[in-house]
Amino acid sequence: MSLIEVNYWEIIKKQYFFKLKAYSGVFTSMMVVQIIAFLLSLGGTGGSGGSGSSGFSYTTGYYNGSMIIAFTMMWALITGILITTKAYRNDDFTFVANRGTSNLSNMLFLLTASIIGGTLSMLSGYLLKVFVYLIFEVDMLFDVTHTISTLWLGIIASILYILLFSAIGYLVGVLAQISKSLIIILAAVVIGYPIYASTGTGQRDEPTLFIAITQFYQGESMLSLFALKVILTVTILFFTSLIITNRLEVKQ
Amino acid sequence: MKVIECNQVSKVYGNHHAVDQLSFTIEENKITGLIGRNGAGKTTLLKIIAGYLRKTSGEMNVFSEEPFNNLKVSANMIFVDDQMNFPTALNLGELLKAADSFYENWDMELAKRLFDYFSLNPKQRHDSLSKGMKSTFNMIVGLASRCSLTIFDEPTTGMDVSVRKDFYRALLKDYIAYPRTIILSSHLLNEIEDILEDILLIKDGEKYLHMSVSDVKEYAVGISGEGTIVNQWTKENEILYKKSLGTGSSYVVVKNDFTESMLERAKLAGLKISPVAAEDLCIYLTSKTNGGIDDVFDRS
Amino acid sequence: MIVQGDGTKPIYIQIAEWLETEILSENIKPDEKIYSQYQLAEMYNINPATAAKGLTILANEAVLYKKRGLGMFVSSKAKAIILKKRKGQTLKNLVTDLVSEAKRLDVSEAELIGMIKLANSQGEGK
Repeated sequence: MSLIEVNYWEIIKKQYFFKLKAYSGVFTSMMVVQIIAFLLSLGGTGGSGGSGSSGFSYTTGYYNGSMIIAFTMMWALITGILITTKAYRNDDFTFVANRGTSNLSNMLFLLTASIIGGTLSMLSGYLLKVFVYLIFEVDMLFDVTHTISTLWLGIIASILYILLFSAIGYLVGVLAQISKSLIIILAAVVIGYPIYASTGTGQRDEPTLFIAITQFYQGESMLSLFALKVILTVTILFFTSLIITNRLEVKQ
Repeated sequence: MKVIECNQVSKVYGNHHAVDQLSFTIEENKITGLIGRNGAGKTTLLKIIAGYLRKTSGEMNVFSEEPFNNLKVSANMIFVDDQMNFPTALNLGELLKAADSFYENWDMELAKRLFDYFSLNPKQRHDSLSKGMKSTFNMIVGLASRCSLTIFDEPTTGMDVSVRKDFYRALLKDYIAYPRTIILSSHLLNEIEDILEDILLIKDGEKYLHMSVSDVKEYAVGISGEGTIVNQWTKENEILYKKSLGTGSSYVVVKNDFTESMLERAKLAGLKISPVAAEDLCIYLTSKTNGGIDDVFDRS
Repeated sequence: MIVQGDGTKPIYIQIAEWLETEILSENIKPDEKIYSQYQLAEMYNINPATAAKGLTILANEAVLYKKRGLGMFVSSKAKAIILKKRKGQTLKNLVTDLVSEAKRLDVSEAELIGMIKLANSQGEGK
C-alpha cells in the first residue's frame, strides 16, 4: 500500500471544518450567555434619578450592549480553556493530526467564534435599544452620531476584545495541561495581587499594574492602533501556546 | 520495506522502565501479534509507534520517520483501542463522515456494510454505546480507514465471542484484499494466532521473542513420562515449565533443540512427546517461576 | 476439513495434508491449478503466510510446480509422490507409536507381529 503524502494546510482546513461541527456546543453556550446578558441588560446598565420640589421626578438609564459584550468575553475566555482540555485535544489525534495542525485549527476556530460572538453581541446591543423603546415605551435619546461606520467600528472592537480573551483562555488552558500547580499559582497572583494592592500594605490604593494593562488597550482611541495592539498580543499568546504544546503527549 | 524500526527504545516514568531497550523491526504487510502480560509495556510501545508518546531514549522510525508529532505518520496510521476519543457532539453517522474526510483510503461502502451487519444506529452517540458496541464501532473505523499501518490495541474488549470471531474474519478478509501492516495486541493469543504471521512477545518492557507463529509453535516441546527418564532426556535443555503428575511421572516443557531422530528414540524410551500451544508457551516464557501458580502452593 | 488450532499439528501441515488428500481423491487433477495462498487463507481463516508455507512444502516435494505469474499447478507425478511419502512417513510414525505402546504394555515383539498378521488377514477376509 503506497503512503499518503500530506499537505499541512489541507489537514488544518479539514480539522477546522471538523471542529466547527464537533464543537457546536460552544455556540449553543454562547447563545445562552448572550440571552442571559440581554435579559439582565433590560433593566439598564447604569443610570441615575432625582426629583424636584415642584413634584416632578426623573430617572435616566443607559441601554447598551456592554453587558452582552462583557459576558461574551467571559464566554470566550472559558471556551479558550475548554478546547485545550484532554477530551477536546485528544479528539484530533483519533484522526489525522500533529500538534501544529491541532493548535492552528483551534486558533482558527477561536477566531471564528470571536467573529460570530463579537458581531452578535454588538448587534444585540442595538436590538436591546429597540426592544426597550418598543416594550417599555420610555423616551429615548438616541446617540445620533451612530452611523454605519461606527457600527463597523463597534463590531471590530468587540471582536478584538473577545479574541483577546479567548487567546488568554487558550494559554491558561495550555498551562493547565502542563501542570495543575501552575494554574493555582496563576490564580493566586491574579486574585491575590489586587487584594495586596488595595489593603494598603503596598501603600497604594489601586492595583496599578492592572490599571496599566487595561489602559494599554482601553486608552487607545484609534481603532487601528488598538487593533494592532490586540493582534500583537493575541499572536504572542497563541505562539506561546504553540511552543508549549508541541512537546505534549497524547494521553487518555 | 521496513515499516517499523525500533532500536534500543526506552520509555521511563520516574524509576519505572515501561519500555526497556527494545529493538525489533516489522516488515511491510505483515500481521504481527503483540503479546505480553498486563503491564508488560504493550500499550506504551504502541503509543510510541503511533506518535502519541515521546520515547525517553533510543531510535524509533515509522515509515523511516520519527513518529512523534509527525503528520505523515498520523495520516498513514490509525490507532484503535477501547478508549478512542470521539467528539460527543457528533453521532455515529457523522463520525464516519468525519473519518472519511481525514483518511484518503477510507472505504465508506465497507464501513456502512459493517455498520449494518453489527446493527449500529447512525443516530446514536458514541458515549451512549455499551463497552462491546464501542469496541465494535472503533473496529469498523480501524478497518475502513485502510491505513498502511493499522494498530489494534486490545480491540475486542467487551465484545462477545461471536462478534470477536466476526472481527477476526473481517480483519483477515480485508487484509487479503488490501494487504497492509497490522499490529494486533491481545492477551487472547489462541483466538488470534491463526490470522497472525508473526508474534512479538514482550516481558517487562523487553523483547522476549519475535518470530513467525509456526516457529513459535515449534519453539518448545512437552515431554511427559516417568520422572527419572524425563530428567535424563531433558538435562541438556532449557526447562521452561515443570509439573509433576502423580507420584513418579512428570511433564516438562523444554526448548526444542531435539532432532527428529532424537524425538523418535525418546518415544521408544517410553516418553510422550507433545507440541506446546503458542499461548501456553507465551505463558511459560513470561511467568516468573517454572512451576507457575503451583509454586505458590507448593511448600515442600 | 476443519483446521485444528489446538496445537496437535501445525496448521501448514494440516493444509498440505488436506491438499494431498484432494489430489489423491482426484478432486484436483494433474496439471490443474491448485488453490492460491489467499484462497486457502480465506477458506481456513488463517494467515496467507501460513497457507503459503503449506504450498511450499508440496512444491519442495515436487507435488506442485510453479508457473511464473500463474500460480501453482499439480504435477503429473503428484499422486505417486504422495503415496510414497505417506508410506514412508505416516506409516512409519504409526509403527513407532505402536511399538512404544506395545513396550509400555509389555507386549512382546512376536505377539505384536501376530496381532498385525491377524489384523491384516481380517482386512483381506472382508
